[in-house]
Amino acid sequence: MLAFALACGGDIGQSGGPDGDSPASDPGSNDVGDGDATGDGAGDGDGDGTIDSSDDPDAPYVASDSVARRLTRAELDNALRDLLGDTARAATTLLPEDPFSPYDNDYTGQAASGALIDSFSSLADDVAARIVSDPDLLSGMMPCTPSGPGDSACFRQLVEQLTQRAFRRPMETSELDVYMALLDFATEDNPDVDNDFDTAVELLLRAVIMDPEFLYRVEAGEPTDDDRIFQLNDYEIATRMSFLLWGTIPDDALWADAEAGRLTDAEGRRSVLTRMREDPRALEQLRRFHAMWLGYRVIPHSPELTAAFNRETGALIDRSVSEGSYLDLFTSDETFIDDTLAAHYDLPAPGTETWVSYGDSGRAGLLSHGSFLSAFGKFTDTSPTQRGILIRTRLLCQEIPPPPPDVMADQPPGDDDALCKYDRYEQHRSSPSCNGCHGQMDPIGFGLENYDLAGRFREHDDGLPDCTIEGQGEVPPYGSFSGPAELAQLLIDSGELERCVTSQFFSFAVGRELKANEEQAVDALTEDFVGAGTAFGELLEAYVSSEAFGLRKEPEL
Amino acid sequence: MAMKLDRRTVLKGAAGVTIGLPVLECMLDDHGVAHAQSGGALPQRYGIVFAGQALGGDDHEKNRSRINGELMTREGDFIVPPESGSGYTITTPLRSAQHLVDDFSLVSGMRIPYNESSAEPGDVPAGGAYRDFHGGGSSPLLSGMRSTAASFTANGPTSDQVVAQMQSGQTLIDSLVLRAQPSFYLAGYSFAGRHRISYSAAGSPVEAQDSPQTAFTSLFGNFMPDDSGQQAQHDFDQRSRRSVLDLILGKRDTLLAKVGATDRVRLGDHFDAIRDLERRVSEVPQVAAGQCMVPTDPGADPTVGTDIAGSGSADIGTNDGYSDEFTRSRVMADLIHMAWVCDLTRVATLQVTAFQSHMNVYPITDGVDSPIPLNRGILADLHEVGHNGDTEMRGQLAVSLCLEWHIKHWAYLMDKLKATPEGAGTMLDNSVLVFMNEAGHGRHLNSPSDAEPKTHSVEDMAMLIGGRAGGLSPGGHIATGGAHPAQLLVSAMQAAGYSGDTLGEVSGNVPEVFG
Repeated sequence: MLAFALACGGDIGQSGGPDGDSPASDPGSNDVGDGDATGDGAGDGDGDGTIDSSDDPDAPYVASDSVARRLTRAELDNALRDLLGDTARAATTLLPEDPFSPYDNDYTGQAASGALIDSFSSLADDVAARIVSDPDLLSGMMPCTPSGPGDSACFRQLVEQLTQRAFRRPMETSELDVYMALLDFATEDNPDVDNDFDTAVELLLRAVIMDPEFLYRVEAGEPTDDDRIFQLNDYEIATRMSFLLWGTIPDDALWADAEAGRLTDAEGRRSVLTRMREDPRALEQLRRFHAMWLGYRVIPHSPELTAAFNRETGALIDRSVSEGSYLDLFTSDETFIDDTLAAHYDLPAPGTETWVSYGDSGRAGLLSHGSFLSAFGKFTDTSPTQRGILIRTRLLCQEIPPPPPDVMADQPPGDDDALCKYDRYEQHRSSPSCNGCHGQMDPIGFGLENYDLAGRFREHDDGLPDCTIEGQGEVPPYGSFSGPAELAQLLIDSGELERCVTSQFFSFAVGRELKANEEQAVDALTEDFVGAGTAFGELLEAYVSSEAFGLRKEPEL
Repeated sequence: MAMKLDRRTVLKGAAGVTIGLPVLECMLDDHGVAHAQSGGALPQRYGIVFAGQALGGDDHEKNRSRINGELMTREGDFIVPPESGSGYTITTPLRSAQHLVDDFSLVSGMRIPYNESSAEPGDVPAGGAYRDFHGGGSSPLLSGMRSTAASFTANGPTSDQVVAQMQSGQTLIDSLVLRAQPSFYLAGYSFAGRHRISYSAAGSPVEAQDSPQTAFTSLFGNFMPDDSGQQAQHDFDQRSRRSVLDLILGKRDTLLAKVGATDRVRLGDHFDAIRDLERRVSEVPQVAAGQCMVPTDPGADPTVGTDIAGSGSADIGTNDGYSDEFTRSRVMADLIHMAWVCDLTRVATLQVTAFQSHMNVYPITDGVDSPIPLNRGILADLHEVGHNGDTEMRGQLAVSLCLEWHIKHWAYLMDKLKATPEGAGTMLDNSVLVFMNEAGHGRHLNSPSDAEPKTHSVEDMAMLIGGRAGGLSPGGHIATGGAHPAQLLVSAMQAAGYSGDTLGEVSGNVPEVFG
């Protein structure tokens, strides 16, 4: 192919997307395409020509911009489980997919719509019907036993318990009164309808599930001396903590902490955090964070293999966030596998699922896992470019500029004449116009080429014995490596990894990409994190016990 | 003898409740072409069925395919036949619409303009495409507004929403916006705008409902059951539903008063949408009558398929990347048909597949009726079919078989309209139903100097325009000399009663569709 246009064809994507290799500099990025086609040039994007102070890197950071965040499908399912004991995970079935970039809780893409309200209505109907038709679920939720269809005292008790927990705040008497009207339906004298106390319960459940106070994390707070900075109350902070750490609503103990006023005190949050981290939901939440961050939340393998990968990676995450240095996530010299995965990786069979040493296999930590190595394949195979972007953007937090529009990224790179994959990428290396960017990505991926799309070791290109894989890689300007173990060490030695971890966690916590002045907060947190021997718990503590965690900033319109 | 009905055709039902009626035979004058009472015309419906694929494959001329590993040269697989006018050769993608050939026009030779010498955003011509195919083509295609970035969006209202706004308030809902493909399927990515074809204004999407079950409930859940034994329960349920929604709406002012300015807008929008639901529940209790019937409850939605590795893959499984879009599309077409019959809306869009769709095509091509029988299904997702994802099954025929699958859904809805008597003819006489796909087959938008034809092209585009609304005169192949696709949409909008002759930055129609 002579055309310049095809010069770096192949592995560079277009439009932030699937084709790949992405423009928006980040595999999986979705910030292309949602309505900002005109590009408003300077300013803060709201068209008024001003710059929000949050977008000014030098503006002192006091608190993060925060608005009402809608619960994600996963959060809703968790909340319905914890509020009602309903484990059907109906939100995931009935609601449209949450966009992710890479975190599914990005509120900037959330907008109400008629279709969404219809979906919430379906969800409310579905859940309410399930609860009242299941005696176990129903009795598990009821605080009292109704004496008859018109037992208003019992209904009122239920209203108070349910609304308080669902809306995550104490309810006023007058607010509870409103719901008593629903009981009228239960007592309506209507010979054609089989109405009873449960009818009122069903309507109450629907009213609670469809309420914006349940569906959104509404934060108001009290004004402070600082313009647009509000102090959150204890219940609002409890909600922040539970959704960040557990992905769900507060439990009774956390409610009690809020009631006792322990959460508005920044230091007081430390002990509460310690207890919350002992809850299994805390580990589950961190597993989800890692899966979204590192792009393997959904991977293209059989359910059995995917589940085995998730157990393997989950075990390492659990350990790395709970004890010692978090960097063990990348350097661990053993992995948690059963005989099937051992055979998959060509490691000694342990007999039962347990920790198995990597020995001198060249593997170490999460970068060796089938989960991570499955992320962002392309053209039926691993993509050195995609893997390079993944490492560069997600673990070093560096940006890669989008490819020029005349790049043909939907075709594998190179022409069909080159047999071996490494040779097909020759254009990326030899053309200066390609290599400027590809030189930042491809060499990283080629250092992982010995590991296929399911994380198995391979000597040569799939099905091509003549194409021996050298497996030599480089992360410019940090150095050369071969394989996951050496790559992990290189990333640690770069000095960028810890700050990038902090930055990713911060983005997950605030539910959007960082504002410019939030980099100051990331700097401070990184200092605490590194100062504490990169113990992940310290990162969590430093974040939750910061003054800013108890504050919200009203965004400039 | 016409009954005395007001504009909303409301009457008192037996149970003493106010009920709305669809168009009944008794309401038509002798000619059956107009509402007798008002003398107005019958409702004219506007619909679009969309396919997220192109018309041809990379580096394969329109007569070149590789099937079962064998390279072949064949005519008749590209959608556009050599002849113009009526009696044209039925091409592979049109086979399943052959029986409808007198009911639609095939409009070909269309293109979206672009700047061949510059890829700069500022150099995009009016109504033109930014020189990056993915995203660059959507705005001009849907809204006639130029794109200036590789963003899947529309920089103005889309044709369906222009018509919906024109007819706003005349029916229960202004438009029915549906999508069959519920997930993007490509591991690590989400839709990022590829899941939208309807916009009420620049950058303001009308979100599609992707659940057939919820769409069914939303449209027909309020209908009074035929069984008189169930009507009291229905009345009770509807009152319950309203009381729940009223209760929530009653909290609006208090809640908005305590939040910040940003949330007053965010939550206010949410409350507005709840209020609209409350309106739909309570406004006019619907009754089925005449041809307006509550469709069969579709039941739980087909399971959403898991993600795939991306691109063509020999490892692609039959259940990966596919959520039974066939059944989902059929249910949605049934809902559109009955929503039109019952006059719940007059505008509908069905996005069968997303832009740049990564739906697995193995399930829809395994065992497919093909002029050259396939010895197996195509192992690729829809997007990669255009990019030669399956090295054994690629080129024109592979692409056309997938296109035909989409056209079948359009034809299914056409058939339903044609089978529904209305006035002196059928509903098809008062409908316009466009079949539109994402791209053509010609020079590569990103690099037009490339001589090989590409799937990423906004040249050599073709669309189908079915029905006889507004004087449409279907039945032939109209080969335009480079009309803008938005011009065909202007024609369709005019058929549905639009009095203007522009869509976005594009002016004029394709006059031949009116005969």
